[in-house]
Amino acid sequence: MNRHLHLHLGAALALAMLALPAPPAMAEDPIAIGWVGPLSPPGNYSGGQEMQWAVQLGVDQINKAGGVLGRQIAVTYEDTKGQPAEGSAAAVRLITKDNVSAIIGEFHSSVALAEIEEAHKYGVPWVGTDVWADAITAKQYPEVFRLAPANSLVYVKAADWTAEQGFKNIAIVAENTDFGQGGAKVIADELKAKNVPYTMATVDLNQQDFTPALLRLMSQSPRPDAIQMVIAGQAQYQLVKQACQLGLAPTAQTALIGSSGLLQKEVWEVVGPCAKNLLIVNVAQPKSQWNDKAKDFVKAFTERYNRAPTGVALEAYDTLGVVVEAIRKAGSADRTAIIKALEEIKYEGVNATYSFPTDKTPDWAYHQFKDVPFTIIQYTEENQSPEDAAIVYPKKWATADKILPGK
Amino acid sequence: MSYFLLLAVNGLVIGLIFALVASGLTLVFSVLKVVNFGHGSLYMLGGYASYYLITALGLPSLAGVAGAMIALFLFGVVFERLVIAPMYTDRVERKDEYAIIVTFGLTILLTNLGLVVFGPFAKSPPSFMAGALIFGPLILPYDRLIAAIVAVVLLVGLTVFLKRTALGQALDAVSQSRESAAVIGIDPRRMYTVAFGLGSALAGGAGALIAPIFALSPSMGDLPAVQAFIIIVLGGMGSVGGSIAGGILLGLVQGLGVGYLPDPNRALAYTQAFGALLLVVTLLLRPTGLFGRSHLRLE
Repeated sequence: MNRHLHLHLGAALALAMLALPAPPAMAEDPIAIGWVGPLSPPGNYSGGQEMQWAVQLGVDQINKAGGVLGRQIAVTYEDTKGQPAEGSAAAVRLITKDNVSAIIGEFHSSVALAEIEEAHKYGVPWVGTDVWADAITAKQYPEVFRLAPANSLVYVKAADWTAEQGFKNIAIVAENTDFGQGGAKVIADELKAKNVPYTMATVDLNQQDFTPALLRLMSQSPRPDAIQMVIAGQAQYQLVKQACQLGLAPTAQTALIGSSGLLQKEVWEVVGPCAKNLLIVNVAQPKSQWNDKAKDFVKAFTERYNRAPTGVALEAYDTLGVVVEAIRKAGSADRTAIIKALEEIKYEGVNATYSFPTDKTPDWAYHQFKDVPFTIIQYTEENQSPEDAAIVYPKKWATADKILPGK
Repeated sequence: MSYFLLLAVNGLVIGLIFALVASGLTLVFSVLKVVNFGHGSLYMLGGYASYYLITALGLPSLAGVAGAMIALFLFGVVFERLVIAPMYTDRVERKDEYAIIVTFGLTILLTNLGLVVFGPFAKSPPSFMAGALIFGPLILPYDRLIAAIVAVVLLVGLTVFLKRTALGQALDAVSQSRESAAVIGIDPRRMYTVAFGLGSALAGGAGALIAPIFALSPSMGDLPAVQAFIIIVLGGMGSVGGSIAGGILLGLVQGLGVGYLPDPNRALAYTQAFGALLLVVTLLLRPTGLFGRSHLRLE
């Protein structure tokens, strides 16, 4: 009888223990944050690496200063390889296995679009670093916030600028991704509205030989007087090099406009003198506008990684800063509290002062940071750094009033 | 006409590089009967080898290409001896699966090692020669011209080697029948090592030649590897001559396809589709490929 009683008591105790909630997190448990981005092929791993370095630098600085809410920050890095399926799986792992309070990062819009579905399903805040497709915020998921510009924020201005410069026949060369095709459409719509003729060419990011397409552009009559690339990362290097070797661009007859991948110092090694006179859409504050935080970040990043950060690194560092500030403001690492805090936040980072409006018109404006610093710069000397390059847009920051070489 | 000529010349140049990569893959397949899924990573390794020989040791550009080929030959020999060779013994039961796994493993290992060792940022050795040859309507950057000339020299050299030398004929014999070759005193295992070394050297040479034209990155071999597989099927499995013809044909079809597809927006994005289409049409008309025969032998 006693034996049976003991067995029943034991079983009841075991059931009671199972029914108990998991023990609450110890006060000293770190706050878990998940990071997603490409760190291996076929993703743009050079951009992903810069982002990861910037985030780790931020984590180390925050933890050294005592963390947030008395707790350290622990970031789990997930390599999404530029593949939507990998991004989706990574988001689920971070949410269900690592129990993260928020997910930050990503470089590829197509991957981000897969990740936000999981973030939305599980109610986890997701803050995008360098993903531009309008659709990301246009879905108007309460969990999704974006520091990077939407295509519509930047490329309308870029298209307006090309029209103002008097270009009369523009070739838009865009990658076959959500970012590339979305950006190309924004530019095309704007040029159409301004009656500026354009042609479009779509490229595969795995492509290495662009020469046949460039020869086709050269054979057009009239030949394009500007080529606007909507391509992320280093695929642009090939295009710039091959356009230059053919004598197509950048020349007095044809300007060549690229994006942030061309800001890395390797552009000079790979492209050589052909990078001179390149125009680049840049989403980083000009050096003249850097605040003390920006100066400190650039110094610390350069010392640690032996290279200057580009705008992508600044955005990544600020993404972490925004989320940590939201946790501080919420007074908790609870996911819902963080989402609420993000909607109310005003955070001064290294690249801008961030807030995430809840306007629903246009659709992409929801939780979209709108005052993204945006410049068009031009390398005017060989081996020039982006900070020292001429600023040709906008007028308030311009250091040059005309682009080179003159016609 | 001048537009056609421009596209054709560019396609020919790129096709010669394709042919170089594919002929190495064919050589390995003919002799070892192993499909080397790691061939693209050897191409990548060749590019980086030439880069460091040129920038760190100060070798002239073409010496860097030769050095990369030697380095990749040695790498291929060591890899074959250490990793492929157990396949010929009783230690490995499922030989075909073993070959697939180790060559796939080679790709994964080298690409990820490349990210760690060479870093994620693009690199490029200096040009063979700056500028471009402008001849009437023809514009051909000197880098491409030199790469094409070296590729022709290597492909002719390979063909002569296979046809005219004792070692080349021994490779041919093993490709036809390893047992019969052994009966007449040829050591098939030695031929396997030589073939894998040569195949690696050809891939490395192609990577080194392309390095100043494109850029170096740890994933640069992914696309050429796919194209090489298309070419060896197109040319006829096991035919080096077929690989050369297939490579040139693929380069021409892709270049002209991009240049003449009625939809200029989609033309470049369809580059790989032109290759796939060419392969399908060829196999429909000639199921053994352009130069293939119903049996496998090195030609």
